[in-house]
Amino acid sequence: MTLLPWKRADRESGPQTSVFEDLALPLFPSLYNVASWLCSNPTEAEDLVQETFLKALRGFPAFDQGTNFKAWIFRILRNTYLTSRTGLAATRTVALEDELGTSEDSGPGLHPEAAIDRQTPEINLIRLSDQAALHAAMEKLSPPLLEVILLCDVEEMKYKEIAAVLDVPIGTVMSRIARAREALRRTLQPHHTPIREFRA
Amino acid sequence: MSDHLSPFMLNSLADGELPAEDLARANEHLARCPLCTTDALHQTLLKSATAKAGQRYSPSAHLLEKITHQSARQIFQPQTETEARSRGTFGTLRWATVAAALLVSVSFLLIQRAQRTAIASTERAALVTEVSDQHIATLAPSSPPEVLSSDKHTVKPWFQGRIPFSFNLPDDLPQGTTLDGANLTYLNNQPVAQLLYSIGKHRVSVFVARRSGAVRPVDLVAEHSGFHVKNFSTDDLDVIAVSDVDPARLSDLVSAIEKAQTGTHRRSN
Repeated sequence: MTLLPWKRADRESGPQTSVFEDLALPLFPSLYNVASWLCSNPTEAEDLVQETFLKALRGFPAFDQGTNFKAWIFRILRNTYLTSRTGLAATRTVALEDELGTSEDSGPGLHPEAAIDRQTPEINLIRLSDQAALHAAMEKLSPPLLEVILLCDVEEMKYKEIAAVLDVPIGTVMSRIARAREALRRTLQPHHTPIREFRA
Repeated sequence: MSDHLSPFMLNSLADGELPAEDLARANEHLARCPLCTTDALHQTLLKSATAKAGQRYSPSAHLLEKITHQSARQIFQPQTETEARSRGTFGTLRWATVAAALLVSVSFLLIQRAQRTAIASTERAALVTEVSDQHIATLAPSSPPEVLSSDKHTVKPWFQGRIPFSFNLPDDLPQGTTLDGANLTYLNNQPVAQLLYSIGKHRVSVFVARRSGAVRPVDLVAEHSGFHVKNFSTDDLDVIAVSDVDPARLSDLVSAIEKAQTGTHRRSN
């Protein structure tokens, strides 16, 4: 297991606990938003955020000041989610198809990175402005694809930060982002033509 | 094979992740390729639409208040310590100040102890909730054990390389008790073994974790949401069993597992 900088628990002296509030509270809305997407249940999302804050507060003396606090606390949120009832059920359901890259989001014989639609930007713009359609499309994403899209697009994290949160290689992050966007396109525009088919 | 920008390149471009060299090459290509320009535009539109749609849920003020209060309880601690130290330094010539500092120190210690007790209690409750949740998850027919075997010589070796510790499984189980299998799971962000037994028609989860000072299972509650919780610790392991079976039968199984941990000393029950 890779020992991340913030996991080094043998620090001689931890930072002031008050610093925790300054760092963590501004991230509270983001943590709640991601928790709500993952749990799909307000009560579970609240429990998840509360537990995340409790764990982060407890582990804060081991946090390396100067490293990425946002990635650190999101990693705690994600690990806490994975051990929750919803998280366990979700991972058991999708783990295999995620590993094999054959989820419902990828069409048969289609490389996950291989699809860009050929619609005009004007049509896309109209479709993308439909919030309800976008919400529905995002809800259809499997948890590994949803979390990567939330971290990348909503939280504006860099690939390296996302890799640290998810504890996966950057290549996996890129692959999941490509698959997630392909899945969104497929849901939003079922008749789109994959770029390689079009160009063949 | 075309020389158009690959989807990975287009994604990286939209995410601002292209290295300078690749970015220059991509821009050069986009300047002469309307097809890729359209693709790049759409990637950017999709990203910005997703970013907007993703900002969907807002926390209630009540939750923020609860969490702020939770943090404030912790923050109060070092502030009080600082105040006490300050008074001690500047008031050494006055007995009254010394007495006040002493009073503050005693108060601080009492508050600190109360806070520690409250936090430990919350941690224990969280642990019990977590193990109960994980136990409930295994009750679903659609969640078979990751290793499905009644043979302890199959179940125990399955954990080799998956958890950073080892444990023993009992040779003889109480009457009516069978080993069903096991899962690898996580508690407090640490990998633990979840052993699955059946006592009659009741499922039992036994969580075996490497001993940690973070949460001492001494005072774990005996019941949670209708499930009975039993626990013990050795020098190396923390073990927690959860089930809705009769507590006496659960204790028999826990005792058998405890006896199997040879060369260890029981710390709590």
